Amino acid sequence: MDKICMLCVDDEAEVLEAVERDLSALEDKFPLETASSVEEAKTVLASIEKRGDELGVIFCDHVMPDVTGVEFLVWMENSEEWKKTRKTLLTGQAGQDATVTALNEAGLDYYIAKPWTKEKLHDVAKSQLTQYVIETGKDPLEYMAVLDAQALANVMHDHGLVSDE
Amino acid sequence: MKAKKLIGLLLGMGGFAAAIAFPLEGLGLAGQLTLGIFTLAAVFWIFEPIPIFATSMLVILLQTMLLSSQGFIFSVGNAPKTELALEAYQSQEVFRVPETALSAEETLIVVEGTKIASKPKVVVVANEGEESLVLADELDAGSTVLKNANHRSVTAGANSYAKFYGALSNPIIILFLGGFALAASAVKFGLDRNLTRFLLKPFGYKPQSVCLGLMLCTGALSAFMSNTATTAMMMTVVLPIIAGLKTSDPFRKGAALSIPVAANIGGIATPIGTPPNAIALAALKEQGISISFSSWMMMAAPFAIVLLLIAWKLLMILFKPESDECRIEISGKSKRSPKAFLAYAIFGVTVMLWVTEKLHGLSTSMVAFIPIALLPAMGVLDKKDIRGFSWEVLWLVGGGISLGISMSDTGLAEWIIGRIEWDGFGAIGVVIVFGVVGYLVANLISHTVAATMLMPLAITVGSAIAVTSGDFNLVSSIVAITVIVSCAMVLPISTPPNAIAMSTGFLETKDMARVGIVVGLISVVMAIGFAFFVWPLLY
Repeated sequence: MDKICMLCVDDEAEVLEAVERDLSALEDKFPLETASSVEEAKTVLASIEKRGDELGVIFCDHVMPDVTGVEFLVWMENSEEWKKTRKTLLTGQAGQDATVTALNEAGLDYYIAKPWTKEKLHDVAKSQLTQYVIETGKDPLEYMAVLDAQALANVMHDHGLVSDE
Repeated sequence: MKAKKLIGLLLGMGGFAAAIAFPLEGLGLAGQLTLGIFTLAAVFWIFEPIPIFATSMLVILLQTMLLSSQGFIFSVGNAPKTELALEAYQSQEVFRVPETALSAEETLIVVEGTKIASKPKVVVVANEGEESLVLADELDAGSTVLKNANHRSVTAGANSYAKFYGALSNPIIILFLGGFALAASAVKFGLDRNLTRFLLKPFGYKPQSVCLGLMLCTGALSAFMSNTATTAMMMTVVLPIIAGLKTSDPFRKGAALSIPVAANIGGIATPIGTPPNAIALAALKEQGISISFSSWMMMAAPFAIVLLLIAWKLLMILFKPESDECRIEISGKSKRSPKAFLAYAIFGVTVMLWVTEKLHGLSTSMVAFIPIALLPAMGVLDKKDIRGFSWEVLWLVGGGISLGISMSDTGLAEWIIGRIEWDGFGAIGVVIVFGVVGYLVANLISHTVAATMLMPLAITVGSAIAVTSGDFNLVSSIVAITVIVSCAMVLPISTPPNAIAMSTGFLETKDMARVGIVVGLISVVMAIGFAFFVWPLLY
């Protein structure tokens, strides 16, 4: 209940494994779900919704059989439930057109080119989740230890989110 | 709903019912109702089945409905009445009224709607059974009079509901609002950040002195801004320092702890530093004692500075820095727009007027309205900034002040105090008892709430003892109790600054508790010392 999850969609099992390994430090607080196709990803989304959880960030490959990653991200952006999810492409093969579509129509927040480094992926996940926490108005205190504490403290200060009671 | 909330809800309502259901000797109906509201509020504030500011709002609602002279219980509108009719009696035209309708002074109480219209004097011509026949020139047939002149709606002396609402415009609330306006403009134009950058420079790069700089800076800011906002800002300064230290360096913990400790202590220094100060000032004002901004500072600021230095030394001993150098970088540039300049100027002028009250005679609360009116008037604060004030804190304090009014007016405070034989305690005993109880309670619940519950009682005992014993200084004792409450910082839940520091993940509860307990004990001893040896010289 009320957990912020991460989701990685890629048709290559090795990529999913690598992402899981690289983001293990965040997994305690932000459970990582994986899916090997868009169809499977939608099932994962349905189960996240059913549990009453949220999706904070998605890492999505572009070139996949059936539905492409960018099409899926556009679909998410236009849905009510997944609009706020931070959307990143994790890909080596998205052409210019697809990338432009992702920027304009899917509200793409970040583009990670393959191959990535562990630090890079971890940092992106952290900063995107921090943004998600800030934008959805969550209690920043709960996330300071894991996410970008400085950004969260800044928001608290600037917006008076916690008061002397 | 979580079990704790459910327990709180049931316990609160049960306490409310119990306080009213059984007659308590020496406590009138109004007092019992107030006891019920007090019990409900205390339980709700402790268990938080609803937010604590919502409990304060509920308190005002209950007072309005149950305790006001217009409410269900004390309204003359709901008292039994009789309509006057003329009848002939020995060639005179008289009114027949119940015997009880006549007051001891032989007046009737005429009610129009829900108000007492007049109390005309009458002449009793005869008594028939339990009824009297009266002559009354000033009365017309059809007037409504109370059947019982000693009905509770007349004798209880209930306050108008407007008095409870008035708690929200209490001068102390306005003082806080002024503080909020200043703090909002300071945050908006980065005054706090600039000041930090400026103040930290002379402290160099040695961890010991950097820590002292951080603490003095935090203390100074939190004396004028909310402790919590100060902590949030200073955390953005401290986190990079911590990140630059080796993982094994104990100073990581020391630095993370220095901020909440200094913020909690800094709040003591001025009347607007932290809400418990407001509760104390309002309680003293009810007793006819007004304390100026400068008088409060003269008493509290030296105390805060000494305690801050002790806390710094303690942190340096408990978390001795390993490295010889730590870098501070505070991002951002100072803003030099005309609005920023105006914000700085109004901040400066207001604070100056506050500390120079003796020269110009404008009271603290009057000066507080200068920023409230001028900052929006000059466009420094806009609609959004005003919405961003911590209004819930004002509601919390307002509800506390309102409850305090009923506690003293209905005699509840005196009744509770009367349960204990205070004579043997002496002046110092009273401060110790309230200080220690306040300290323990405030570690577990909100400082403001702890002050709200204790202050009406402390003031009642205090005034009683002040009359009988010459060596008791009411102001000193109340200030002592207030600063002790502010020094309760053992647990992460004790204060919001503690909660922020804890959530950074660098600390364990036992680190916080070690520092909190030592600082707390020192503060209790120091406050009592100041209350009996230093403050009486000043006030």
